[in-house]
Amino acid sequence: MHSIYARVNNISAFLSSCLMTLLAAIAISSLLVTYFEAPLEGGSITVNSIKVKHGKGRQYRFEHAFVDFEIDSDLSPLFNWNTKQLFLYLDAEYTNDKGVKNAVVIWDRIVRRKEDANIRLKSRQKYLFKDITGFKDASAVYTLRYNVMPWVGALTYGTAGSTNTSVPFPPLISNA
Amino acid sequence: MFSEELKAFRRLGIRHVLLQALNFASVIASGLMIWKGLGLLTNSESPIVVVLSGSMEPAFYRGDLLFLTNPSSERYHNGDITVYKVPGADIPIVHRVLETHDAKSRGTYSPLNQRLLTKGDNNEVNDIELYRGLEYLERKHIVGKVRGFLPYVGYVTIAMNDFPQLKYALLGGLGLLALIQRE
Repeated sequence: MHSIYARVNNISAFLSSCLMTLLAAIAISSLLVTYFEAPLEGGSITVNSIKVKHGKGRQYRFEHAFVDFEIDSDLSPLFNWNTKQLFLYLDAEYTNDKGVKNAVVIWDRIVRRKEDANIRLKSRQKYLFKDITGFKDASAVYTLRYNVMPWVGALTYGTAGSTNTSVPFPPLISNA
Repeated sequence: MFSEELKAFRRLGIRHVLLQALNFASVIASGLMIWKGLGLLTNSESPIVVVLSGSMEPAFYRGDLLFLTNPSSERYHNGDITVYKVPGADIPIVHRVLETHDAKSRGTYSPLNQRLLTKGDNNEVNDIELYRGLEYLERKHIVGKVRGFLPYVGYVTIAMNDFPQLKYALLGGLGLLALIQRE
Protein backbone atom coordinates (compact mmCIF):
# COMPACT_ATOMS: atom_id res chain seq x y z
CA MET A 1 0.00 0.00 0.00
CA HIS A 2 2.60 2.50 1.07
CA SER A 3 5.31 1.43 -1.26
CA ILE A 4 7.46 3.93 -3.12
CA TYR A 5 5.72 2.90 -6.32
CA ALA A 6 2.29 3.79 -4.91
CA ARG A 7 3.51 7.13 -3.59
CA VAL A 8 5.16 8.14 -6.88
CA ASN A 9 2.03 7.09 -8.70
CA ASN A 10 -0.22 9.15 -6.43
CA ILE A 11 1.95 12.25 -6.55
CA SER A 12 2.35 12.24 -10.33
CA ALA A 13 -1.38 11.64 -10.83
CA PHE A 14 -2.19 14.53 -8.50
CA LEU A 15 0.34 16.85 -10.15
CA SER A 16 -0.84 16.09 -13.66
CA SER A 17 -4.51 16.60 -12.76
CA CYS A 18 -3.62 19.96 -11.14
CA LEU A 19 -1.72 20.97 -14.27
CA MET A 20 -4.58 19.93 -16.54
CA THR A 21 -7.11 21.90 -14.44
CA LEU A 22 -4.89 24.98 -14.51
CA LEU A 23 -4.42 24.76 -18.30
CA ALA A 24 -8.16 24.28 -18.80
CA ALA A 25 -8.88 27.31 -16.58
CA ILE A 26 -6.46 29.46 -18.61
CA ALA A 27 -7.89 28.31 -21.94
CA ILE A 28 -11.55 28.72 -20.94
CA SER A 29 -11.11 32.09 -19.19
CA SER A 30 -9.31 33.63 -22.16
CA LEU A 31 -11.95 32.24 -24.52
CA LEU A 32 -14.70 33.83 -22.40
CA VAL A 33 -12.86 37.15 -22.40
CA THR A 34 -12.53 37.07 -26.19
CA TYR A 35 -16.19 36.19 -26.54
CA PHE A 36 -17.50 39.04 -24.38
CA GLU A 37 -14.96 41.64 -25.48
CA ALA A 38 -16.12 44.53 -27.65
CA PRO A 39 -14.99 44.15 -31.26
CA LEU A 40 -11.97 46.14 -32.39
CA GLU A 41 -12.81 49.60 -33.64
CA GLY A 42 -11.08 52.35 -35.54
CA GLY A 43 -9.07 50.15 -37.88
CA SER A 44 -8.76 51.47 -41.42
CA ILE A 45 -7.36 50.07 -44.64
CA THR A 46 -6.68 52.39 -47.54
CA VAL A 47 -5.64 51.26 -51.00
CA ASN A 48 -3.50 53.98 -52.54
CA SER A 49 -2.80 52.56 -55.96
CA ILE A 50 -3.15 49.39 -57.98
CA LYS A 51 -1.34 48.45 -61.17
CA VAL A 52 -2.11 45.42 -63.30
CA LYS A 53 0.63 44.03 -65.55
CA HIS A 54 1.30 40.96 -67.68
CA GLY A 55 3.20 38.11 -66.13
CA LYS A 56 4.55 34.85 -67.50
CA GLY A 57 5.08 31.71 -65.47
CA ARG A 58 6.51 28.32 -66.34
CA GLN A 59 3.30 27.20 -68.02
CA TYR A 60 0.75 29.96 -68.16
CA ARG A 61 0.40 33.64 -68.86
CA PHE A 62 -1.34 35.53 -66.12
CA GLU A 63 -1.95 39.02 -64.82
CA HIS A 64 -0.08 40.52 -61.92
CA ALA A 65 -1.62 43.06 -59.58
CA PHE A 66 0.59 45.40 -57.57
CA VAL A 67 -1.20 46.97 -54.64
CA ASP A 68 0.02 49.86 -52.50
CA PHE A 69 -1.91 50.10 -49.29
CA GLU A 70 -1.98 51.74 -45.90
CA ILE A 71 -2.94 50.13 -42.59
CA ASP A 72 -3.89 51.98 -39.44
CA SER A 73 -5.14 49.65 -36.75
CA ASP A 74 -4.51 49.19 -33.04
CA LEU A 75 -4.60 45.52 -32.11
CA SER A 76 -3.14 45.79 -28.61
CA PRO A 77 -6.51 45.01 -26.90
CA LEU A 78 -6.15 41.49 -28.28
CA PHE A 79 -3.23 40.74 -25.99
CA ASN A 80 -4.16 39.01 -22.74
CA TRP A 81 -2.61 36.37 -20.45
CA ASN A 82 -3.12 33.64 -23.00
CA THR A 83 -1.95 35.42 -26.18
CA LYS A 84 1.22 33.93 -27.58
CA GLN A 85 1.16 35.89 -30.80
CA LEU A 86 -1.08 37.52 -33.37
CA PHE A 87 -1.02 36.54 -37.00
CA LEU A 88 -2.19 39.51 -39.09
CA TYR A 89 -3.03 39.18 -42.75
CA LEU A 90 -4.49 41.39 -45.44
CA ASP A 91 -7.03 39.54 -47.48
CA ALA A 92 -8.08 40.59 -51.00
CA GLU A 93 -11.43 39.10 -52.01
CA TYR A 94 -12.77 39.37 -55.55
CA THR A 95 -14.78 37.47 -58.12
CA ASN A 96 -13.20 37.24 -61.55
CA ASP A 97 -14.62 37.11 -65.07
CA LYS A 98 -15.34 33.39 -64.89
CA GLY A 99 -17.30 33.65 -61.65
CA VAL A 100 -14.55 32.15 -59.51
CA LYS A 101 -14.53 33.57 -55.99
CA ASN A 102 -10.98 34.25 -54.94
CA ALA A 103 -9.44 35.26 -51.64
CA VAL A 104 -5.72 35.99 -51.64
CA VAL A 105 -3.48 36.98 -48.75
CA ILE A 106 -1.26 39.77 -50.07
CA TRP A 107 0.51 40.76 -46.85
CA ASP A 108 1.01 39.26 -43.42
CA ARG A 109 2.87 39.86 -40.19
CA ILE A 110 3.46 38.04 -36.92
CA VAL A 111 3.10 40.27 -33.85
CA ARG A 112 4.60 38.82 -30.70
CA ARG A 113 4.50 41.76 -28.28
CA LYS A 114 1.75 44.12 -27.22
CA GLU A 115 4.08 47.08 -27.87
CA ASP A 116 4.24 46.17 -31.56
CA ALA A 117 0.50 45.71 -31.95
CA ASN A 118 -0.33 49.28 -32.97
CA ILE A 119 0.05 48.90 -36.71
CA ARG A 120 0.62 51.98 -38.85
CA LEU A 121 2.30 51.32 -42.13
CA LYS A 122 2.44 51.95 -45.84
CA SER A 123 3.44 48.97 -47.89
CA ARG A 124 3.26 47.09 -51.14
CA GLN A 125 1.96 43.53 -51.28
CA LYS A 126 4.33 40.88 -50.00
CA TYR A 127 3.11 37.86 -51.98
CA LEU A 128 2.38 37.36 -55.65
CA PHE A 129 -1.09 38.57 -56.49
CA LYS A 130 -1.90 36.95 -59.81
CA ASP A 131 -4.82 35.61 -61.77
CA ILE A 132 -4.73 33.45 -64.89
CA THR A 133 -8.14 34.67 -66.01
CA GLY A 134 -7.18 38.28 -65.37
CA PHE A 135 -8.52 41.11 -63.26
CA LYS A 136 -10.66 42.60 -66.04
CA ASP A 137 -13.74 44.43 -64.67
CA ALA A 138 -13.15 42.91 -61.23
CA SER A 139 -12.97 44.75 -57.95
CA ALA A 140 -11.71 43.55 -54.59
CA VAL A 141 -12.49 44.17 -50.94
CA TYR A 142 -9.37 44.39 -48.78
CA THR A 143 -9.78 43.23 -45.20
CA LEU A 144 -7.25 43.10 -42.38
CA ARG A 145 -7.87 39.94 -40.37
CA TYR A 146 -6.17 38.47 -37.34
CA ASN A 147 -5.66 35.09 -35.77
CA VAL A 148 -4.99 35.06 -32.04
CA MET A 149 -2.70 32.14 -31.25
CA PRO A 150 -2.84 31.08 -27.61
CA TRP A 151 -0.31 29.58 -25.21
CA VAL A 152 -2.87 26.86 -24.70
CA GLY A 153 -6.45 26.38 -25.92
CA ALA A 154 -8.52 27.45 -28.89
CA LEU A 155 -7.43 29.59 -31.83
CA THR A 156 -9.68 32.60 -32.50
CA TYR A 157 -10.14 34.78 -35.56
CA GLY A 158 -11.47 38.28 -36.22
CA THR A 159 -11.46 41.35 -38.43
CA ALA A 160 -9.48 44.51 -37.66
CA GLY A 161 -10.47 46.81 -40.50
CA SER A 162 -11.57 46.84 -44.11
CA THR A 163 -11.82 49.08 -47.14
CA ASN A 164 -15.59 48.49 -46.72
CA THR A 165 -16.27 49.22 -50.39
CA SER A 166 -14.75 47.21 -53.18
CA VAL A 167 -11.83 48.77 -55.02
CA PRO A 168 -11.89 48.20 -58.80
CA PHE A 169 -8.78 46.92 -60.59
CA PRO A 170 -7.49 49.33 -63.25
CA PRO A 171 -7.10 48.22 -66.87
CA LEU A 172 -4.02 46.22 -67.83
CA ILE A 173 -0.83 48.12 -68.57
CA SER A 174 0.82 46.54 -71.61
CA ASN A 175 4.53 45.86 -71.38
CA ALA A 176 5.25 46.88 -74.96
CA MET B 1 17.62 -11.76 -10.90
CA PHE B 2 13.96 -12.27 -11.82
CA SER B 3 13.46 -15.22 -9.41
CA GLU B 4 11.37 -13.10 -7.04
CA GLU B 5 9.14 -11.92 -9.85
CA LEU B 6 8.82 -15.42 -11.26
CA LYS B 7 7.79 -16.73 -7.85
CA ALA B 8 5.19 -13.98 -7.57
CA PHE B 9 4.02 -14.84 -11.04
CA ARG B 10 3.48 -18.52 -10.08
CA ARG B 11 1.68 -17.63 -6.90
CA LEU B 12 -0.88 -15.53 -8.78
CA GLY B 13 -2.05 -18.45 -10.88
CA ILE B 14 -3.29 -18.68 -14.41
CA ARG B 15 -6.69 -17.07 -13.79
CA HIS B 16 -5.14 -13.91 -12.49
CA VAL B 17 -2.72 -13.69 -15.39
CA LEU B 18 -5.57 -14.11 -17.84
CA LEU B 19 -7.62 -11.47 -16.07
CA GLN B 20 -4.75 -9.01 -16.24
CA ALA B 21 -4.23 -9.75 -19.91
CA LEU B 22 -7.93 -9.06 -20.46
CA ASN B 23 -7.64 -5.75 -18.60
CA PHE B 24 -4.69 -4.80 -20.73
CA ALA B 25 -6.57 -5.62 -23.91
CA SER B 26 -9.62 -3.63 -22.81
CA VAL B 27 -7.46 -0.57 -22.11
CA ILE B 28 -6.03 -0.76 -25.63
CA ALA B 29 -9.45 -1.38 -27.17
CA SER B 30 -11.08 1.58 -25.41
CA GLY B 31 -8.19 3.81 -26.47
CA LEU B 32 -8.76 2.79 -30.07
CA MET B 33 -12.51 3.33 -29.74
CA ILE B 34 -12.04 6.84 -28.36
CA TRP B 35 -9.62 7.69 -31.21
CA LYS B 36 -11.95 6.39 -33.92
CA GLY B 37 -15.00 7.99 -32.22
CA LEU B 38 -13.20 11.35 -32.22
CA GLY B 39 -12.41 10.81 -35.88
CA LEU B 40 -16.11 10.27 -36.64
CA LEU B 41 -17.16 13.35 -34.66
CA THR B 42 -14.64 15.65 -36.28
CA ASN B 43 -14.81 14.07 -39.75
CA SER B 44 -11.04 13.86 -39.75
CA GLU B 45 -8.90 10.79 -40.23
CA SER B 46 -6.52 12.09 -37.59
CA PRO B 47 -8.21 14.53 -35.15
CA ILE B 48 -5.10 14.99 -33.00
CA VAL B 49 -1.68 15.55 -34.58
CA VAL B 50 1.81 16.25 -33.32
CA VAL B 51 3.82 19.03 -34.95
CA LEU B 52 6.89 17.48 -36.57
CA SER B 53 8.64 20.44 -38.19
CA GLY B 54 9.56 24.02 -37.42
CA SER B 55 7.83 25.57 -40.42
CA MET B 56 5.11 27.20 -38.29
CA GLU B 57 7.45 28.66 -35.66
CA PRO B 58 7.07 30.70 -33.52
CA ALA B 59 3.46 29.57 -33.25
CA PHE B 60 3.97 25.81 -33.21
CA TYR B 61 7.16 23.99 -32.27
CA ARG B 62 8.10 20.35 -32.66
CA GLY B 63 6.14 18.26 -30.18
CA ASP B 64 3.14 20.56 -29.78
CA LEU B 65 -0.27 18.90 -29.94
CA LEU B 66 -2.97 20.18 -32.33
CA PHE B 67 -6.69 19.40 -32.29
CA LEU B 68 -8.45 19.33 -35.65
CA THR B 69 -11.95 19.38 -37.07
CA ASN B 70 -12.98 19.00 -40.70
CA PRO B 71 -16.75 19.55 -41.14
CA SER B 72 -17.59 18.74 -44.76
CA SER B 73 -20.11 21.59 -45.03
CA GLU B 74 -17.64 24.26 -43.99
CA ARG B 75 -15.49 26.32 -46.33
CA TYR B 76 -11.86 26.97 -45.58
CA HIS B 77 -10.77 30.57 -45.26
CA ASN B 78 -7.48 32.37 -45.59
CA GLY B 79 -5.62 32.35 -42.32
CA ASP B 80 -6.96 28.95 -41.27
CA ILE B 81 -4.22 26.53 -40.34
CA THR B 82 -4.71 23.26 -42.17
CA VAL B 83 -3.16 19.86 -41.93
CA TYR B 84 -2.84 18.28 -45.35
CA LYS B 85 -1.45 15.17 -46.96
CA VAL B 86 -0.66 15.16 -50.67
CA PRO B 87 -0.72 11.78 -52.43
CA GLY B 88 2.70 10.16 -52.34
CA ALA B 89 3.89 12.00 -49.26
CA ASP B 90 3.58 10.05 -46.03
CA ILE B 91 3.97 12.88 -43.53
CA PRO B 92 1.04 15.27 -42.99
CA ILE B 93 2.00 18.96 -43.14
CA VAL B 94 0.68 21.75 -40.89
CA HIS B 95 0.53 25.04 -42.83
CA ARG B 96 -1.62 28.15 -43.12
CA VAL B 97 -4.00 28.89 -46.01
CA LEU B 98 -2.73 31.70 -48.23
CA GLU B 99 -5.24 31.56 -51.10
CA THR B 100 -8.70 30.08 -51.62
CA HIS B 101 -10.44 29.74 -54.97
CA ASP B 102 -14.10 28.73 -55.24
CA ALA B 103 -15.31 27.78 -58.70
CA LYS B 104 -18.97 27.19 -59.44
CA SER B 105 -19.97 23.62 -60.20
CA ARG B 106 -23.54 22.89 -61.34
CA GLY B 107 -24.55 26.41 -60.43
CA THR B 108 -23.48 26.39 -56.79
CA TYR B 109 -20.34 27.10 -54.80
CA SER B 110 -19.67 23.83 -52.99
CA PRO B 111 -17.14 23.80 -50.16
CA LEU B 112 -15.92 20.46 -51.49
CA ASN B 113 -14.91 22.15 -54.71
CA GLN B 114 -12.48 24.55 -53.10
CA ARG B 115 -8.87 24.87 -54.15
CA LEU B 116 -6.30 26.08 -51.63
CA LEU B 117 -2.75 27.33 -51.56
CA THR B 118 -0.83 27.13 -48.28
CA LYS B 119 2.35 28.46 -46.72
CA GLY B 120 4.24 27.87 -43.48
CA ASP B 121 4.52 31.00 -41.32
CA ASN B 122 8.23 30.41 -40.96
CA ASN B 123 8.84 29.71 -44.68
CA GLU B 124 9.70 32.37 -47.23
CA VAL B 125 7.70 30.90 -50.09
CA ASN B 126 4.42 29.09 -50.56
CA ASP B 127 4.01 25.34 -50.69
CA ILE B 128 3.72 24.65 -54.43
CA GLU B 129 7.04 22.77 -54.33
CA LEU B 130 5.58 20.45 -51.66
CA TYR B 131 2.50 19.55 -53.68
CA ARG B 132 4.35 17.07 -55.94
CA GLY B 133 3.13 18.48 -59.22
CA LEU B 134 -0.29 19.68 -58.09
CA GLU B 135 -1.05 23.36 -58.74
CA TYR B 136 -3.33 23.67 -55.74
CA LEU B 137 -4.49 21.62 -52.79
CA GLU B 138 -7.95 20.17 -53.15
CA ARG B 139 -10.36 19.56 -50.35
CA LYS B 140 -9.74 15.81 -50.42
CA HIS B 141 -6.11 16.36 -49.45
CA ILE B 142 -7.03 18.23 -46.28
CA VAL B 143 -7.01 16.28 -43.02
CA GLY B 144 -8.44 19.12 -40.93
CA LYS B 145 -8.38 22.65 -39.59
CA VAL B 146 -6.45 23.43 -36.39
CA ARG B 147 -8.89 24.45 -33.65
CA GLY B 148 -6.98 23.92 -30.41
CA PHE B 149 -3.41 23.85 -29.19
CA LEU B 150 -1.58 22.13 -26.33
CA PRO B 151 2.18 22.70 -26.09
CA TYR B 152 4.94 20.07 -25.58
CA VAL B 153 2.67 17.07 -24.81
CA GLY B 154 3.31 15.38 -28.15
CA TYR B 155 7.04 15.36 -27.60
CA VAL B 156 6.71 11.86 -26.11
CA THR B 157 5.83 10.44 -29.51
CA ILE B 158 8.70 12.29 -31.19
CA ALA B 159 11.10 10.95 -28.55
CA MET B 160 9.75 7.43 -29.13
CA ASN B 161 10.30 7.78 -32.88
CA ASP B 162 13.81 9.15 -32.45
CA PHE B 163 14.78 6.53 -29.86
CA PRO B 164 12.88 3.30 -30.64
CA GLN B 165 14.46 1.60 -27.58
CA LEU B 166 12.39 3.96 -25.41
CA LYS B 167 9.21 2.73 -27.07
CA TYR B 168 10.00 -0.94 -26.39
CA ALA B 169 11.14 -0.21 -22.85
CA LEU B 170 7.94 1.69 -22.13
CA LEU B 171 5.65 -0.92 -23.71
CA GLY B 172 7.49 -3.81 -22.06
CA GLY B 173 7.48 -2.10 -18.66
CA LEU B 174 3.77 -1.33 -18.85
CA GLY B 175 2.96 -4.87 -19.95
CA LEU B 176 4.99 -6.39 -17.14
CA LEU B 177 3.43 -4.12 -14.56
CA ALA B 178 -0.07 -4.93 -15.79
CA LEU B 179 0.64 -8.67 -15.45
CA ILE B 180 2.42 -8.65 -12.11
CA GLN B 181 0.56 -5.94 -10.23
CA ARG B 182 -1.91 -7.16 -7.59
CA GLU B 183 -5.14 -5.34 -6.87
